Amino acid sequence: MHRIVRLVNRNLTISINPGFLIWQVIFPLIYIFIAGFAYTALIDNVPFGNKNLDYPAFLATGMIGFNIMNSTLISGIIIWNDRRHGMFEQILSGPFTRSDYILSNIFTIGIVGLVSATLITVVGYPVFFKSVEFNFLTIPIIIFGSVVGSILFGSIASIISTRLKSSEGFNVIINTVFLFFAFVSTAFYPADGAPELLAIAFYLNPLTYLVDIIRAGIFGVFTELVFMEITVLVILASSFFVVATKLLTKLDF
Amino acid sequence: MSCIIVESLSKSYGSVKAVDKIDLSIDSGQVFGFLGPNGAGKSTVIKLLTTAIQPSNGKISILGIDAIKNPLEIRKRIGVVLQQPSYEPTLSVEKSLEKYGMMWDVDKKNRKKRTKELLDAFDLNEIKNKKNEDLSIGQRRRVQVAREFMHDMDLLFLDEPTVGLDPAARRKLLDFLKNKVKTGLTIFFTTHVLTEAEYLCDNIAIINKGKIMAIDSPEQLQTSLGHQKTVKIHILHVHNELEQILSEIKNCKIEFNSGTNITINSSDSESVLLEVLKILNENHIPIEDLSAMPTSLEEIFLKILEDSDASNS
Repeated sequence: MHRIVRLVNRNLTISINPGFLIWQVIFPLIYIFIAGFAYTALIDNVPFGNKNLDYPAFLATGMIGFNIMNSTLISGIIIWNDRRHGMFEQILSGPFTRSDYILSNIFTIGIVGLVSATLITVVGYPVFFKSVEFNFLTIPIIIFGSVVGSILFGSIASIISTRLKSSEGFNVIINTVFLFFAFVSTAFYPADGAPELLAIAFYLNPLTYLVDIIRAGIFGVFTELVFMEITVLVILASSFFVVATKLLTKLDF
Repeated sequence: MSCIIVESLSKSYGSVKAVDKIDLSIDSGQVFGFLGPNGAGKSTVIKLLTTAIQPSNGKISILGIDAIKNPLEIRKRIGVVLQQPSYEPTLSVEKSLEKYGMMWDVDKKNRKKRTKELLDAFDLNEIKNKKNEDLSIGQRRRVQVAREFMHDMDLLFLDEPTVGLDPAARRKLLDFLKNKVKTGLTIFFTTHVLTEAEYLCDNIAIINKGKIMAIDSPEQLQTSLGHQKTVKIHILHVHNELEQILSEIKNCKIEFNSGTNITINSSDSESVLLEVLKILNENHIPIEDLSAMPTSLEEIFLKILEDSDASNS
């Protein structure tokens, strides 16, 4: 077995526990099936490209991006726990390089992100199936969005985990940052109709791009804006990945 | 054959020299003890030898491999038990052994076999289903040391492995290590407990302020540096003038504890003892107990540090 595969195996074993699975499945289900239908009385239709989506379909597809982002938190948690419990130094005293460690984290979050996306797509499918428009780009663009989004948010979580030592600090910062990403985005509501400043804030948030790309794939809406969002997401993911890698490379024991 | 060769090895952090031009040559199939006070540079040397950090100057060859050019090749063939705890909090003891074996690419059949053997050897069966985060410090330390034997290695670095262990567990670990050395393993061992070093190590180096102060076998260190012997005499009653009378004896250091215990340290212990006995006899002071012992490794260690500090100042 290759060194990186062994580390990915280890990462998945230590990260996936009942608490994490409940967080990953139950939480989005509550949003999709309770909030989604409850808000239907207030929100009738949501415009997306040339389509009008019902709110549960809009929210369920938003939850795919939201779940990818949430699942990549484990990247930060793995690094932070490894540093706190001496495993970072222990692993690097063994038959692994720092590059192995970094790549294994990226593969871990990629896998977790993809599985999360698949899970919510399957669970949420009954809610948005009426509006789905499958074409040859649907699956590749969802996979692309899941992987690039995972790398982006995983890198952000990794950067935070390399900078903070106390558990309180790590939890407060990571929850605040990810709460901002979650609610100042188009995951839960559209940018159209929001106050102008808030709509601008939506587009300063990479989760908006991820969610828009996934929706574009599912509903077959490929506008110029979506292709621009793909470009921005790739640039952001690459930049944050480089920063995270540099910080991890310099991390002292 | 030497499995560790170090030449003029130095490591500086800014203007602080953590390791200062040390030379080492350690043969295979032995336990090499690396002793020194806190902050002497022991852990830095271990980090350098295990390729965790790069030296500022000097050469390191481990198992015939250049540590600066091929660190990964070295790490594939060594085991490291770090000074600080390292564990996967959410895994059970059994699972963490098994997963560690997997990380070292040990096949499944061997992992199972070794896990069982190590659970037995380190008395971990009772806690094998407990999560690491729920273990006591000593239990966690036992798991950490046991875990390193999940994989094959030629050289094992143990940085204070017995910290937190009770005396029985400590002795069991030392005996386990002794048996492993008989199979050809080389161990680089640091400890603050000098009786452990005396019990386990074939050779010892003493480091202080980044410099090696002495290297030899424990016996040889005692022969070459342990000229002084300690004589302990217990007398029945307190004699107020005795301390004054004995203080006139030359070439020795005499201490009185509670007035009835006399401890004499001298490199000329035989003639000093004769003189003390003569004085006690002349003063009709009965002796209840008398014992003479060679200088312990601990005393030699302290003397070396004292000499080193004196020469530095």
